[in-house]
Amino acid sequence: MLRSAQLQYLLKESFAGFHRRKLTTGVTILIMGSSLLVLAVLTLATLNLALALERARTGIDIRVFLQEGLTQTARADLQPRLVSIPGVSGVTYISPEMALHEFSGTLGQDADLLEMLDGNPLPPSYHLQLTVEARNLDTVRAIRDEVAGWAEVEEIVFHQDWIDALERWTFRFQLASMIVGLIVFVAAVFVISNTVKLTMAASARVIQIQKLVGATNAFIRTPFLAEGALQGFLAGSLAMGLLAVAGVLLEGRLGGVVFFAPGQIAGFIGFCVLLGLIGSWSAMRKYLTLRSDL
Amino acid sequence: MFSRDPAASGPLEERSVIGFRHVDLVYSDQTALADVSFTVTNGEFLCITGPSGAGKSSVLRLIAMDAFPTKGEVIVRGQLASRMNRRKVPRLRREIGFVFQDFRLLEDRDVFDNVAFAQLVVGIKSNQITKNVMRVLTQVGLWNKRHRLPRELSGGEQQRVAIARAMVNSPKILLADEPTGNLDPETAQEIIGLLFRINDAGTCVIFSTHDHGIVRTFGERVIVVRDGKLVSDEKRRGAVDRKATITDHMYRAPAPGRQEKVHA
Repeated sequence: MLRSAQLQYLLKESFAGFHRRKLTTGVTILIMGSSLLVLAVLTLATLNLALALERARTGIDIRVFLQEGLTQTARADLQPRLVSIPGVSGVTYISPEMALHEFSGTLGQDADLLEMLDGNPLPPSYHLQLTVEARNLDTVRAIRDEVAGWAEVEEIVFHQDWIDALERWTFRFQLASMIVGLIVFVAAVFVISNTVKLTMAASARVIQIQKLVGATNAFIRTPFLAEGALQGFLAGSLAMGLLAVAGVLLEGRLGGVVFFAPGQIAGFIGFCVLLGLIGSWSAMRKYLTLRSDL
Repeated sequence: MFSRDPAASGPLEERSVIGFRHVDLVYSDQTALADVSFTVTNGEFLCITGPSGAGKSSVLRLIAMDAFPTKGEVIVRGQLASRMNRRKVPRLRREIGFVFQDFRLLEDRDVFDNVAFAQLVVGIKSNQITKNVMRVLTQVGLWNKRHRLPRELSGGEQQRVAIARAMVNSPKILLADEPTGNLDPETAQEIIGLLFRINDAGTCVIFSTHDHGIVRTFGERVIVVRDGKLVSDEKRRGAVDRKATITDHMYRAPAPGRQEKVHA
């Protein structure tokens, strides 16, 4: 167990690198913070896209237009068949009159145009509501393929292109975020590793003496790990801070954009601390041998 | 006190603190030591000599477990260092003190902190650290200069700080690699006198030097290495008048490092 004098020493040494190399450490935090800001922006964009996709999916539905001249019985028979399709949670019948009323609502001031029509040209239809799990392109297409073969059905409509594009872009963004995340990860580890190497090189004599008098590797490495973790913490906080400032400045122009929740901010900074620890660890490998270079 | 060929006689003597058995040490393609065998018993004062690059420092590095033999066995305080779990090395090193030709002090810390540092890293309590540092610095005559930085001291004083640091943890063995190499003859004698006092108090002292004068004057047991081989191992007990070496003022305080058990 560590004595209080040892704890005091380790705490002091953890900040010693910052104190002795203010410029290098400052530049490191700045570079790492900027890289992490890019990652944070991409993560935020992916998060918002995912939310948009989720919102869009709640609006995914299928409209099944029926042949004209169907008897009321034939039409009523369709309802249980539609409900029994996997993925369909509910079915609503839309009569031609209801459809016309709905359509006139979408025309707004131009609704008068409908008066020029001889009759109601809109066919009856069923509006299919989908379960949450079924709100994806593959299931929607499967439902369409099944219903399309029925004799009573004239046409099936859903917002295929829109869903398709949204899913495609979300996937691309996630992929880009992952690639950028990987690059940022490697870059951050490299930058922190180099800074800690500088600290270790400057502390070579201290490390050598520590080894000679029997200090354990754990004792020797603690201040350097703490330094890396602290750099990661500051760089992560800087990135989050800059993002928050940007959010405030652009407020109003970014309608509906969701910012990170406190838990997500803590998670992001925790990830940056982990980056710092990995960077320090990789810097220390060669110093962790038993050799003291007598 | 020692065996010329311990490997031939089976187990090492119980009193031995260090044993080399047919040790080879090869760095890359270069042979630093070849078939070196000797033992050192408790309380010995051993001088290892030979020309530069002969392998003196390699012997010390093996004892310090700073290097491990390519072949053969090295035993330190009854433990087979050559096959020891590397995690145990730091603890065993706490029983060994080190002194170097270039002192290796921390330039940004004063005399007190340089010595206290050796206690701090091994986990001695703060109040005990102060007592122990005070004791060893008094013994090497530098308590009144405890707030000086190394650069404010003479070479001999810096070496005495290094010795105090080496002895503050009460090691059983003191390794000194060319401890007088950077010192004038008078100061060198003073440092040898200090090493004698440490040895008188029971610590085994092993020091290397290439200075023939020091070997002739102070070598009680002298091992000569040349081209990585042990070429002679000579005991000259009685050949040295320790009291003449240790001047009167050096006897005022007890020898460093052996008065209190300081390990936590």
